Amino acid sequence: MPERGALTLIFVAALVATVPLFAGDFWVSLTIKILVLGLLALSVDLLLGHAGLLSLCHAAFFAMSAYTVAILQVRYGVPMLIAVPAGLAMGTLLALVFGVSVRTRGVYFILVTIALGFIVWGVTYRWASFTGGDNGITNVPYPAIGDFQITSMTAYFYVVLLVVLGCVLAYRTLVRSPFGLVLRGLKSSESRMRSLGYSPLRHLYVAFVLSGFMASLAGVLYIYFNRFVNPATAHFHISVEAVLMAILGGTGTILGPFLGSVVIMVLRNWVSGFFPYYMTLMGLVFIVTVLFAPNGIIGLVNSWRARRARRAKTTDAVGTEPEAQPRPQP
Amino acid sequence: MSFIIQTINGLSLAALLFLLSAGFTLTFGLMRVVNLAHGALYLIGGYVGLSVVWTTDNFWLGIVAGGFFVVVLAALIDRFLIRPTGENHLAQVLLTVGVAIVIADIALAIWGGDNLRVPTPEMLRGPIFLPGDIIYPRYRFVLILFGLAAAVIMWVLYRRTQIGAIVRAGVDDREMASALGININLLFALVFAVGAFLAGVAGVVGGAFLTLYPGVEWEILILALVVVIVGGLGSLEGAIVGSVIVGLIDAYGRWLMPEMSYFVIFAPMAVLLLVRPTGIFGQEH
Amino acid sequence: MTTALTLPLRRLATIAAAALLSVPAFVGQAQAEEDEIRIGILAPLTGPLASPGQEMVWGHEMFWEQKGHTVAGRDVRLVIADTACNPDQAITQARRLVDQEEVHTIIGPLCGHEGPAVAQVGRETGLPILLDPAGADEITKWTRVPSVVRTALSASQIGHPFGDYLYNELGLRSATFIGQDYTFGHEVTLGAIQTFTELGGEVDELIWTPIGTTDYGPVIAGVPSDSEAVAVTIVGADRVRLFDAWFDFGMDHRHDIIGTYWLQEDALPQVDDRAVGLISNSLNYVAGIETPENEAFVEAYAEAHNRIPSWFAESGYTASLWAHDAIEAIDGDIEDREAFLDAVRSVEIDAPRGPLRLDEYDNPIQNVYVSEVQKRDHPVLGEILMNVPVKTYEGVSQFWTWDPEEFLERGPYER
Repeated sequence: MPERGALTLIFVAALVATVPLFAGDFWVSLTIKILVLGLLALSVDLLLGHAGLLSLCHAAFFAMSAYTVAILQVRYGVPMLIAVPAGLAMGTLLALVFGVSVRTRGVYFILVTIALGFIVWGVTYRWASFTGGDNGITNVPYPAIGDFQITSMTAYFYVVLLVVLGCVLAYRTLVRSPFGLVLRGLKSSESRMRSLGYSPLRHLYVAFVLSGFMASLAGVLYIYFNRFVNPATAHFHISVEAVLMAILGGTGTILGPFLGSVVIMVLRNWVSGFFPYYMTLMGLVFIVTVLFAPNGIIGLVNSWRARRARRAKTTDAVGTEPEAQPRPQP
Repeated sequence: MSFIIQTINGLSLAALLFLLSAGFTLTFGLMRVVNLAHGALYLIGGYVGLSVVWTTDNFWLGIVAGGFFVVVLAALIDRFLIRPTGENHLAQVLLTVGVAIVIADIALAIWGGDNLRVPTPEMLRGPIFLPGDIIYPRYRFVLILFGLAAAVIMWVLYRRTQIGAIVRAGVDDREMASALGININLLFALVFAVGAFLAGVAGVVGGAFLTLYPGVEWEILILALVVVIVGGLGSLEGAIVGSVIVGLIDAYGRWLMPEMSYFVIFAPMAVLLLVRPTGIFGQEH
Repeated sequence: MTTALTLPLRRLATIAAAALLSVPAFVGQAQAEEDEIRIGILAPLTGPLASPGQEMVWGHEMFWEQKGHTVAGRDVRLVIADTACNPDQAITQARRLVDQEEVHTIIGPLCGHEGPAVAQVGRETGLPILLDPAGADEITKWTRVPSVVRTALSASQIGHPFGDYLYNELGLRSATFIGQDYTFGHEVTLGAIQTFTELGGEVDELIWTPIGTTDYGPVIAGVPSDSEAVAVTIVGADRVRLFDAWFDFGMDHRHDIIGTYWLQEDALPQVDDRAVGLISNSLNYVAGIETPENEAFVEAYAEAHNRIPSWFAESGYTASLWAHDAIEAIDGDIEDREAFLDAVRSVEIDAPRGPLRLDEYDNPIQNVYVSEVQKRDHPVLGEILMNVPVKTYEGVSQFWTWDPEEFLERGPYER
């Protein structure tokens, strides 16, 4: 059943599409946020779940495209049809530059990307005459093509949902392609792939740039949702949160990063409203996940389903099949 | 003259950074644990030390209490939370971030959000007058000596003693060390305790001139990360040299080009890493 | 010091209680009463500015407790939301307050950069927002929103009188300025420099330093040795770090240090007697204002929270007072947003910090106090350091003495 995964995704998207029917603007806006940050987490997971590289600079691409769109639209009155491709281009360009970091591996890759991410944050914060500094840039216009303008939260919600769904389906094709196989091959054994004639550097670089492009796309969706951007968008904490979402939901899967996004966003934005120690709760969720569901929420669901359908020969994973994490015994 | 003052400034920050990064780097070198809760250990050590100083009016007791509290806390975290993850770095990142969040949130609830300063004893307050008409804060001058002493002791232990040789063997090749009949678990526990102790001490010592407040755990962790990156993960010499480099760059940078203070540290680090990914003293892990 | 020891323990007990209490609060959340007035409060309760955020909330709570949680015959409920000083979280929380909690008005946020973000929710929804105490100048100048008024201050509003104070009261003809390198710091510092230089003063050196500067040694080493005085605008943890570095480097033997915005009441317990006699702030409120209204306020606050209020606490208190008086003026009909906003614009307030009213650009005209740190024997708190006004500028407008049009033409203070 090759297309079952895709059907699952479309089914989930259809479910999500019903949110505005029964929930108010707040929940619609929160769902948009979940989708956008989930997309960011998914872009991180292209490197993390498939190529085994943990990047902590993705907020840079996210913010780069958001800032580009905001500055072009607010400062120079450039129409959306030009601002959006420009934003994507700038984010991707940044990924082309930062892509040199794939020369490093493991912990060193994590550390290089932290450093690169901080540079971008520093620029947004420091170059106040251009970026608005601490105040950022506000009053970005509503998304509009010609005279057609989207001002309602619900309408924009459907735009986001469609873009994210399209992106997810493309992503799915990508990770199932020979390219995705090579990435996972590199993750498990780089020397083997090299002896098979694949260039690790080239493949990882391409993956990094693609991932940066996805993060830029999330940035564009974000700027038209919030309609303001400031240095917090580029901060290390956003990069960390995207990674946590992916690990929490389950790396190497498609729904995982979005589930992680649901948990973190709901804790931060809804639970915080009535439970003052929500940060402790968030920390405990991370700890419990690592101890009892090391493959994330998706991993937990899959192992539960595997147990239930023990007799069946094959088990259906939610989304794509999760990668088992190599877990040496302590 | 500015140059001399700025150099001393850089060294005093370096002393604090060394206390913090020594534990971080050795823990990684030996146990391959990326402990992102290291900054939170600094924070809680500082707060506990602060409460002890408030109660007993004894700064030194505060330092020791902060250090030992963190040893106990870190041992519990290690035994019950980090060990079960094995060598899964991803799990460790998520887990230790979770631990850091919980520690910081509890600290916020107990000590509140004010900028609290650990009171220093009379003998460490005020300026001292160095030759050449240089006036310098006494506390921070003593801090440099303290950091230097800690570095020398650690280095001698690491390079010149039996136990240091065992630790180095463990860093280089754990299986081999284990095969030679070394009790690797005891070794881990020992190094971990020393690292945690230094983090707690750093919290009290640092809390006396940087103050303690919510969020300082990440600010200080980032600096410690830069130190171990520059010096090389897992290397004690790297932590020493890295602390000095980062401390000096920070001081000269603020002095000569205050506009660029964010780039001054991170940009050279990124370049260094691309040229020599393992840092100055690091080796491939 | 027994208080020092019991303080953490008491807090621990309140945590447990609060955790238990929050469960029924959640369950009961859905039952919003028809007739009650809901006021949303946006404040940072986690992160580096958790303490000012908490003080602000205490100010609001104290005011409504004194009023028995009613105004014009209607019950009042405060809905408090944590922004973590993050504009992204602030905007989401603002939307939650509007949409889920169905609040009638929002007061907050605290952090300067959250201001424009929250104001944008006002633009989107038309909900009346009392911006307090976020100081971003632009909100009541270049990017005004019809439903957003400010009840605290514009950043440069406290800077302008200070330039005058330096020149005319202290008789300085030149000075070095150290400013925290972010929008609030720019606006306060450059506001002071604007008036100072217009009078004829000269800037020896202008030093910007980022928030979270760990080490003030290098910063103050940049002060020119022949500079007579150093005026500083410093926030957060940096305030205490600067204080220590200043004295430990022996700078007090060489220059005078003068706080434009420096040692507020929440920082005073962390500094020692060397602070006595320093000019600490140029602000719209200091705890040492000697009026019956303020003395009563400080007394009540000290009783409840075992500390003296900073301007954040007073700002919360007064913003609630402002909302209260406006609601009373329209007989409780806060559902009529236009009428409520008109009332907010027209009422005149007698706050602990003095008389207040809004100008035509929705920013308060108010006193600005230049204060000095003094040692006081407080009946509740014992011997403490306190900010006491030494010069009061009455009825200061955000445009100082300039013509508003001319000021707006000149553009924002940017470094």
